[in-house]
Amino acid sequence: MAKVVLASLKKKNFADDDIEEGVERAIDRLDFDFRDDIQNVVIKPNLCYYWNYSTGETTDPRVVSAVIDYVRDKVGNDASIAVAEADASAMKTKYSFRVLGYDKLCQAKKVKLENLSEGNIVDVKIDVSGKEIVLPINEILLNADLIVNVPKLKTHNFVGFTCSLKNMFGAISKPRKYSYHEMISHVIVGVNKIVRSDIIVVDGIVCRGSHPKKLGAIITGDDSLATDFIAAKIAGFNPKRIQHLTMAKNEKIGHINNIELIEDYVKLKEIKKNFPSRKYSIHKFSWKMQLRMLKMYARLTGDVIPPILSENSA
Amino acid sequence: MGKLHLLSALRIKGINVVAAADKSEKNRKYVEKYHVRTYDDYHKLIDAEKLDAVIVSLPNFLKKEGVFCATDNKLDIFLDKPLARNFAEAQEIVHKVKKENVRLMVGVNYRYFPSVQKLKSNLDDGRIGDAVIATSELILNGPLSHSVVPTPVPEWWLSKEMAGGGALLDLGYHLVDILSWMFGDLEIAYSNLGYTLNLPVEDAGTVMLESKNHGTTCVVNVGWFSKSIFPDFNFRISINGTVGYDSTDRYAPRDLRVHAVKEGTLNFLRRILKRKMHYLSYTYYYSSFFHVLELFFEALRQGAELPVSLEEQLDVIRIIDSVYRQQGVK
Repeated sequence: MAKVVLASLKKKNFADDDIEEGVERAIDRLDFDFRDDIQNVVIKPNLCYYWNYSTGETTDPRVVSAVIDYVRDKVGNDASIAVAEADASAMKTKYSFRVLGYDKLCQAKKVKLENLSEGNIVDVKIDVSGKEIVLPINEILLNADLIVNVPKLKTHNFVGFTCSLKNMFGAISKPRKYSYHEMISHVIVGVNKIVRSDIIVVDGIVCRGSHPKKLGAIITGDDSLATDFIAAKIAGFNPKRIQHLTMAKNEKIGHINNIELIEDYVKLKEIKKNFPSRKYSIHKFSWKMQLRMLKMYARLTGDVIPPILSENSA
Repeated sequence: MGKLHLLSALRIKGINVVAAADKSEKNRKYVEKYHVRTYDDYHKLIDAEKLDAVIVSLPNFLKKEGVFCATDNKLDIFLDKPLARNFAEAQEIVHKVKKENVRLMVGVNYRYFPSVQKLKSNLDDGRIGDAVIATSELILNGPLSHSVVPTPVPEWWLSKEMAGGGALLDLGYHLVDILSWMFGDLEIAYSNLGYTLNLPVEDAGTVMLESKNHGTTCVVNVGWFSKSIFPDFNFRISINGTVGYDSTDRYAPRDLRVHAVKEGTLNFLRRILKRKMHYLSYTYYYSSFFHVLELFFEALRQGAELPVSLEEQLDVIRIIDSVYRQQGVK
C-alpha cells in the first residue's frame, strides 16, 4: 500500500517558519522508515528554468531547506546530503543555482550542490512498454541510499501535468532533453524505473495552472505514482488519462488503487477547488492551431514568421 | 536577431541580399534556404563579395571588431543596439566611422512602434502641453525569455565584460534613446541598480533624468526579472504635461491576438490588391525591426540623412555609462 499525505500550511502567511512547520508535519505524517545505514542522500528539486518559486515554475528553496533539516535530523550528521539537478535544454545549473537561491541555501546548510550533467555518468539501458531506451544517469543518483524528490505542483505544455515522475526526467544527465519529447512518456517512466524516489515532497505552496496561485499545500508520499495520482486530481486532471501515469502503472512503478490518503488540516476537494486548473487539451490544440494558421498566413501573404516562433529555426 | 534581419532585408524593395556570415553551420544552412551565399567568417565574406552595406548583428563584445572591419572596407553599416559596451568604446566607433567617411545607423526600433510615434506626434503637436514628468517602463525577461524551442541563454549576456551591462544597457538603452529623442539633453538626477536574480549583471534598474532643454523629469524603469512569454509585452511611455496626460498604452493593441488577426487580414487584402505590405505588423513588436531597417536602406538609396544620428546614440551610451560609474559597476 502507498501512503500520501495532503497537508496545508497552518498560518497561511507563507512565511519561512510557516513553510518549515508545514513541510516537517507533512513528512512526519508519512511515518517513513529511515534505515540506519543511510549514507548518501540526494534531494532533487525542480529547477527547470530561471523563474523562481513565485512563478509556480520551480521548487521553493524554503521547502528544500525544511527537507534538508528533517532528513539531517533522521539520518545524522555523518550522512552526506546533496541537492542535485541536471542542466536542461534552456537552463544551465551554474546560473539557476544562483538565480533561484540554491547556492546560498546549500552553503548555509553545509550540503553539496551537484550538477547531474557533470561527473560520472552511466548509460543505462531500460525497457519501457516493449521499447528499449538508453538514458545517461549520474552515479550520484545510482549510488544514493535515499532519494527525496521535491517537485512543483504545476501543469506542463507537453505532458499536461507534471509532478514527481516528470521531475526525475529533469535528472537525466543529457542537457538537451528536448530531444526526448517525441517519446516523453517512455522516457519519464524509464528514468523512474532506473531511479526510484523514496520520499516525495510536492511543493504546492505556490502552484501554477492557468496562472500562479498561493495554494499553501504540501503533498508528501512514499510512492511517486500514488503521489502523482493524487496531485493530478488536485490539478483537475483525470489521472487515468495521463499517458505517463498509466504507463508507469503498467510498468509497476507504484500504486494507483491501493492508496492511503491522509488529509492534514485540509480536504482534497478543497485544494482542488482552489487550484487554477486549465483545459490542457484546449491549450495544446489552440497553440498548434495558431502555429498552423500562422504558417498558412505566411505562405499566402509572403509575410515573415519571426524566427523565435518558427521551430525550424532553432 | 540576424535571422530576423535577413528575412526582413529579403523583403525590402531595391535591396539585394547577397551573402551572410555565421560561425554556426546550422545557421548557415538556414540562410542557404533563401538562396543567399554563406561564409563561416565575415572577413572572408567582405573579401569575396561586392557590397554597399552590411547589417552587423553580433554579440556586444564583437561589435567593435565587426564595425571596424566594415569601415575599413568603406561599407555603410546598420548596427543592432547598443552602439557599444561603454562610452569609451562608443567614442572609438564613432571616431572610426567619421574618419573612414562611412555611415552607421543604430537600429533603435522602439522609436518606431506606432504607439511611440503617435505619442511623439501628440507631444510635438502641443496636445499634452509642456511635458513635466515622463515615465518609461520596459520590464520583461530579457535574455532569459523562453523560446518555443528551448535553447540556452548565450553566456555572453550574463558577463559584464562581454555584454557591457545587464538590463539597463539592454532595455534601458531603448528607453533612454526615446526620452532623449523626445526631450533632448538629459542628465542623471538619480539612479539605482538591482540584482534580484543574483546574476553578474544587473537585472533591474531605475534612473531619473532631467531634461536641460525642456525641464522635464524623466523616469526609466527596466528589468529582466519578470517572467514574460511572447506576445506579453510590458512596455510603456507616459507623459504628464501642462495640458493633460498621454501614454503609449492608449495606442498599443490591448489584445495582441486580436491585433494579429486584424493585421493579418489587412495584409492579406493588401497582397490581393497589390498594395504595400506591412511586414510583421501582426506581431506588433517585430514590425518595428522591419521598419527601422527599411528606413536605413531608404536613406542610403536616396543619399539622405540617416533618421538616427550617431551623436544621439553616443549620448545614450554616455548616460548609461555614467549610471554604471555612479553605481560603482566596473
